Amino acid sequence: MGAVIKTKKTQTVLMGTLGILVFLAVWQIAVLVTRFGTIFPTPFEVLSGMAKAVVEPIGKTTLLGHVGISLSRVLVGYILSSIAGALVGLVMGASKLGKAVLNPIFNIIKPIPGIAWIPLAILWFGTGNTTIYFIIFVGGFAQMVMNTMAGAENVSQELIGVARVLGLKKNRIFLTIVLPSCVPYIFSGLQVSLSTSWMAVLAAEMITATSGCGWLILSGMQSGNMVNNVMGMISIGIVGLVLASFMRIMERRLCSWKERGQ
Amino acid sequence: MSEIKVSVDNLTKSFGDLLVLDRISFSVNRGEFLCIVGPTGCGKTTFLNSLTKILEADSGTIRIDGEEVDPKKHNLAYILQEYSTLPWLNVEENIAYGLKIKGTDPKTIKERVDEAVEMVNMQEFRKFYPKELSASMLQRVVIARAFSTQPDLLLMDEPYGQLDLNLKYKLEDELLKLWEKTKTTVIFITHNIEEAVYLSDRILVLTNKPTHVKTELINELPRPRKVADKEFVSLRNKVTDLIRWW
Repeated sequence: MGAVIKTKKTQTVLMGTLGILVFLAVWQIAVLVTRFGTIFPTPFEVLSGMAKAVVEPIGKTTLLGHVGISLSRVLVGYILSSIAGALVGLVMGASKLGKAVLNPIFNIIKPIPGIAWIPLAILWFGTGNTTIYFIIFVGGFAQMVMNTMAGAENVSQELIGVARVLGLKKNRIFLTIVLPSCVPYIFSGLQVSLSTSWMAVLAAEMITATSGCGWLILSGMQSGNMVNNVMGMISIGIVGLVLASFMRIMERRLCSWKERGQ
Repeated sequence: MSEIKVSVDNLTKSFGDLLVLDRISFSVNRGEFLCIVGPTGCGKTTFLNSLTKILEADSGTIRIDGEEVDPKKHNLAYILQEYSTLPWLNVEENIAYGLKIKGTDPKTIKERVDEAVEMVNMQEFRKFYPKELSASMLQRVVIARAFSTQPDLLLMDEPYGQLDLNLKYKLEDELLKLWEKTKTTVIFITHNIEEAVYLSDRILVLTNKPTHVKTELINELPRPRKVADKEFVSLRNKVTDLIRWW
């Protein structure tokens, strides 16, 4: 059984590597034999540009510095929006009064994308990091609220009934039944919210920042340096992949009870 | 000490204009296995929910050992038709859950969990999560959780309603063994008359809505009971005639 799993994993890695190599080959050929090459760098140019940018600064800092700046901005906004979104979602899902009060305003705010807040955010907070945090915050908040609220609303009434008959008080029912029931929903919210946070940071950095991956992409376009542009995009892709994989590992650990028998 | 464990007097419950429970009165003796039967939709679950204070009754009193029932004070356990295991806890954690709520000390919890796991024959599945268990195993875990708290009163609402016949018979026998061993007072609601005759010391027959107690029958058939015995069939037919509304 173990050998079969190992073989399958090796196959997956091999196929994945093959896919990447084919993609790079198509890219290389397209740049060399079509007019695409006049405006677009080869994979080798991008990779060597990336290696150079690790030690030589582009603008204020190196490539890793820009990635670190974007990542720290995302984490601040994302953590704040996740905590606030989960709390509001729990209030709306577990309390009829909470939902009655908050739902109308939430339903109006929900469809407004994070980037639509950029002009207002610049007016309120200027062009510094606070504006970027705010854009990321509003970008992820609605997803967290919706998912957490769905979790709190779908708690099994049978489980609550059993806990009440066993003599459990209301606050402990919330802690031992409602909250654990919401965990898988909260994780769904965290994953969706992470993607929207990345989108929000890029949009915000393109408009209000002088550092970060968003700025790198935009400055590459403005200076006609497509290597910088593509480097910024690839960096975002790699960091996004790492973060999404981390979230999946955490979910597997914390929600193993949900996954095991499925 | 009084032989009466539970006494219910004039329990009444309505939903708006619909009177569901109409002055229900009865008592249950200590260690007795009482089955309650009635026509489908007569309000059996409402009755049990009122008894456990999940629903607030409009009037009437429910006393356990002479005191007004209070889930925070009395040791009640409730087994439903739906599987009420907590999906994020494994088998032994699920069984320990009720004991933890009651504030039992960790040493006693361990002893009782060990005992309960053995009683329901789940030793090999202690670390399994509900998603990994079959329907009968899930219901065994719930039964083990209920018995491990050594309840003053065990309430069961059609607990085997979703199981196939073979499993149902098996679990009914397991339940009887546990009950005989622990002498817990049991109120068991079912729409299955054969099940009521097989399990009970006494059968309470309810009417259609507005529900009240139509009659009660003492079941003195010797145990273990055989469903094909003449006396068994006779009592089963008698109960069937009593709940017949057509």
